[in-house]
Amino acid sequence: MTRSHRFVHRLIWPALPIAIALGLTMALALRPPPDPPAATGGKP
Amino acid sequence: MSAGFRAVQWNRDKLIYDAILAAGVVAFLGGFAAIAGRIHPPNNLADTIDIWIRATGSCAFLMLTIILCIGPLARLDRRFLPLLTNRRHFGVLTFLIAAAHGWLMVEWYAAQNALPDLVAEMTSGKGYDRFIGFPFKMLGLAALVVLFLMAATSHDFWLAFLTPPVWKALHMLLYAAYGLVAMHVALGIMQYERTVLIPLMLFGGCGLVSALHLIAGLREHRSEAGTPVNAGGWIVVAAPDDIPDRAARIVLAPGGERIAVFRNGDEIGALTNLCAHQNGPLGEGRIIDGCVTCPWHGYQYRLADGCAPPPFTERLATYRVRINRGMVEVHPDALPPGTPAAIRLSAGTN
Repeated sequence: MTRSHRFVHRLIWPALPIAIALGLTMALALRPPPDPPAATGGKP
Repeated sequence: MSAGFRAVQWNRDKLIYDAILAAGVVAFLGGFAAIAGRIHPPNNLADTIDIWIRATGSCAFLMLTIILCIGPLARLDRRFLPLLTNRRHFGVLTFLIAAAHGWLMVEWYAAQNALPDLVAEMTSGKGYDRFIGFPFKMLGLAALVVLFLMAATSHDFWLAFLTPPVWKALHMLLYAAYGLVAMHVALGIMQYERTVLIPLMLFGGCGLVSALHLIAGLREHRSEAGTPVNAGGWIVVAAPDDIPDRAARIVLAPGGERIAVFRNGDEIGALTNLCAHQNGPLGEGRIIDGCVTCPWHGYQYRLADGCAPPPFTERLATYRVRINRGMVEVHPDALPPGTPAAIRLSAGTN
């Protein structure tokens, strides 16, 4: 790896995992609730 | 190496590597489809295609994760180096699996006569202002384009044509592709599938890749810290006996360039740490058959002058070395590639 590659690598690396971790966590936390179970002939 | 063009330079090791790779992929896809088909038996063609979409998608994500782990693993433990040697074939196969995933998605819409829906979804331009509901298929498509670029330029012809620094920069886009794939899954199937396996796969894969890179980077940083430089600008490397025979110590020059100082018996020489092939870490290689051998793909150079043995033509920058007060020292100014600069301990200088 050349000096410039290493520089870019070290610049990107702290940001990329944090961005992905944040994105994954938000996607997990904000996902819509599951569909309610279908009605099965309850009380009238 | 550089003598003549061959489409693929097959050898026994590469054939074994590719056979194991292909067998692993077939076993994963077959196993996934069998288990998924048993848990949720398909009712129609679209259901069957859906199973294969999931199988190829999981397989591609797993393969990308492994590819990104190979680099730091090989730095942490030399036993992983054989995995690195043929990593390009691994990458090309990953692209093919990812392309199959995309093609199956098109087939899934076609099986339901819903291709216009897919076209509308991909071209409407809606949803880009939302996080949940973002058109996740576009993220997968962007990742597929990156994988295609990497697969299409994986041959040594492109490496020579683009030059190793440009080629390497292009292939570092794999990290971006991995992020795109992770978000493609997170904003896609993870939004409507409640199984814990998907978050586990995403967090586990991304966490493993990040942790291995962090550990390898910290180890490298520690090994470079505190390289002493004396008054004349010479870098103190180590006592001759502290440089392992037929191996190297890597030192960091003040400008940030790495220098590999090798010992081969009583011969000491310094070369740039960048292999001429793919800029691999030459200093992590060994001296085999009298030549410094890159750990990545086996490119070889003479320690005396940094030249590849005939008929090959690669040449590396060399550095002046000397023995001063019982210590090996290297001067950080690179000499023109191919300049003889190694010394013999028995003779004092070369």
